Amino acid sequence: MIRFIVWFLLFAVLLISPFLGAVPLHVEDILNPTHINNAIFFDIRLPRVLFAFFAGAILSLSGLLFQTLFRNALMTPYTLGISSGAVLGAGIAIKLGLSTFVFGIAAISVFGFIGALFTVFLLIYLARFLKSSQQESLLLLGIALSLFYTSALMIVFYLGDTMQNDMLIRFTMGSLSIIGWQNPVVLGIISFLLLIILYMYRFELQLLSISESGAKLKGVDTKKVTLKLLIISSLGIGTLVSISGPIGFIGLIVPHMVAKLYPSTVDKRILKTALFGGFFLVFCDTIARILQTQSELPIGIITALIGGPFFIYLIITKASK
Amino acid sequence: MIEINGLTCSYDKKTILKDINLSIKNHVSILGANGSGKSTLAKTICKLTNFNGDILLDGTNTKNIDSNTMAKSICYIPAKLEIYDSFISVEEFVLQGRFPHKKGFFDYSDNDKTITKQTLEFLKISHLKEHTLSSLSSGEQQLTLIAQALTQQSKIIIFDEPTANLDPKNSKIIAQHIKGLKDYHQVILITHDLNLASYINSNIIFIKDKETTLYEDSFFTNENLQRLYGVKFESLAVKYD
Repeated sequence: MIRFIVWFLLFAVLLISPFLGAVPLHVEDILNPTHINNAIFFDIRLPRVLFAFFAGAILSLSGLLFQTLFRNALMTPYTLGISSGAVLGAGIAIKLGLSTFVFGIAAISVFGFIGALFTVFLLIYLARFLKSSQQESLLLLGIALSLFYTSALMIVFYLGDTMQNDMLIRFTMGSLSIIGWQNPVVLGIISFLLLIILYMYRFELQLLSISESGAKLKGVDTKKVTLKLLIISSLGIGTLVSISGPIGFIGLIVPHMVAKLYPSTVDKRILKTALFGGFFLVFCDTIARILQTQSELPIGIITALIGGPFFIYLIITKASK
Repeated sequence: MIEINGLTCSYDKKTILKDINLSIKNHVSILGANGSGKSTLAKTICKLTNFNGDILLDGTNTKNIDSNTMAKSICYIPAKLEIYDSFISVEEFVLQGRFPHKKGFFDYSDNDKTITKQTLEFLKISHLKEHTLSSLSSGEQQLTLIAQALTQQSKIIIFDEPTANLDPKNSKIIAQHIKGLKDYHQVILITHDLNLASYINSNIIFIKDKETTLYEDSFFTNENLQRLYGVKFESLAVKYD
């Protein structure tokens, strides 16, 4: 029953979300192709809602993946500094004024992907110096990397001119303000890819979520599978972050909520996590658009306001176990 | 058939095993003091830890065997279950033993599910199948681990201190199962439980001072035990048979 109510509410938000915002939209205006509201609905609102949906799916799936691979509730691309790596990469691209496209892929996205992937490899390399019982240290490494990247980004700020900096600052706050259909389509493809690949590896993930040595003893090539899945999720995170900037805590909150709603093994939660994450980010984005004061509230601030306390809650419940 | 040639294993700069040469053709029980390297030896055989030297499994170096083929020939049952996922049920866990036999990205087959069902019935734990792993007692956990190993259908099964956390009654149940398995699998047993080792009645490998010695018979004499363990033995307390 609770499950039904939750899904119903989230779905309802998805449906009414495109109609909410700075300009109230009426159905007759939307259906009139010459009316300005028609353009607002089809070129701004609708792509944005879909963009938010796919972004939420990618963030949640990556969160679920990281928590499973590292068997730790606090591990997400965001807490491990991988998002920050992507932000720095994308920030450098913005500073360099790279707005070129190669095969339809923006240079900024490529830089974001490189930043994310570099961080993954750095973490894997550094993790070799840790014992398997020191999982928490990996989290500290991630935090250290995040701080380092933030400082590096400050240097980029320092070197940039006012216009670039304004762009950069808004970028680092995380925003879903996009126009047109290109970005939602790109993210849509990536989230489908991520979903399908995680589904293909659902039984490996089920084994890995018990213990690494256990999975290995059952015939999972743990190193290879882990690396493969981390690279694919970095591709998703890198691309997403290079478009939207960092959107924190979704990957932390959503997998937990889904696990609370459906206490089952990870293989049965993959699709649910993707859908729930999509709905949830649309919900957060709708709040951001309703609450707007002089200008729109960046989505990253909303998710951080919800996610920060949630993070603390998780640490406390984990510590008390 | 496991052949170990010049095996040396170190952990944190401390040498645990030094230049071990062994050939394990049949059932064997590995004994030795705490920290003598019994589990380490088992883990090197399963490629769970790094080591120097060569281990051959039916003539093939384990370094050249992929993890799937490994899982079909060797199964290692740890002393205690480590679980991060608190949702997994006994049935789902036992079914995981079928993973090395599963085809590609497909679901577990009906055959896999039948084998799981039969194994649960055989070990008399069918009533637990819906229970989560984390809710089980130590005895039930050990039986579940054995069930998972049985569905895996590997030639060799390594038991790492199967009775370490169990009360006498559960120890006896587990001991009887292990003895029964000798007819179908090559059983390698690591234990401190001398009663268990004498009941299982395999050849003994004793690890002392980083080296191994094989005893094919007459291991359980008071003089032997006193010399190896360094304490006096009157008589063995619990009898399994």
